[in-house]
Amino acid sequence: MNFLRFGLGLATLVIIGLGFVWVIRVEYHLGYLWWPYIMGPGIGLIGASLFIRSMWASALLGVIGGSIIWGATELKEQAVRAELGWYPFNPKPKPRPPLAERIRKWPAPHL
Amino acid sequence: MTPNWMGLVTAAATFFGIWIGHVGVRKIEAASPGLWLPALSALALGAALEIGALLSPSPYLSGALGIVGMTILWDALEFRRQDSRVKHGHAPANPRNPRHARLLAESRSATTRDWLNRDPVGRPVSRDEALALVQSSEHTI
Repeated sequence: MNFLRFGLGLATLVIIGLGFVWVIRVEYHLGYLWWPYIMGPGIGLIGASLFIRSMWASALLGVIGGSIIWGATELKEQAVRAELGWYPFNPKPKPRPPLAERIRKWPAPHL
Repeated sequence: MTPNWMGLVTAAATFFGIWIGHVGVRKIEAASPGLWLPALSALALGAALEIGALLSPSPYLSGALGIVGMTILWDALEFRRQDSRVKHGHAPANPRNPRHARLLAESRSATTRDWLNRDPVGRPVSRDEALALVQSSEHTI
């Protein structure tokens, strides 16, 4: 029986649960235009997981990377939810990411 | 150095597990007249995948099954929350679904409109402005 991998499923549950929290925070403080700068490190973590010998560490890094990529795709809809008043809207100006105007023209991914 | 594919497998299982669950819950909840059958089915499928993860000799298959199983167990709880979103107008109602038709009749907030189907504008918007933005987004698609 493979209880360690069952534990991986539980860790995934916690990581996805935390994903809901950080997506709300990141959109509130930074805004949805930062999505490529969130997605990039997520892809980087998955790439890094290829070079880690430990199966456990590689698996966890993969889950965190996959969860970060999913979170990046949630930022646009979260911004709309905040504008609608379903979540707190941050009235302070948000920091503009590098290449903000170019990013604005890209279709922000969402599931 | 030989690459360790475990992280790639778990990343794919996480991302696609969430994606399929996200879209699946919305579509099944919108089409299903009741919530118990889809919730119990997801519970049974998630539990079966977790048992598969415990019994599988392959670490890759076991890891993927464990993760997808957990996301499906999560989805079992999401059916009730999706019903609540429809009731509050945070997700579009399907008027052909008797349960949604009842929500549309009973709740002033319930709507067939998908309020999220537009780009953000960077400021709070009123219901009227949100409606105009969604309609303009629908026309440009």
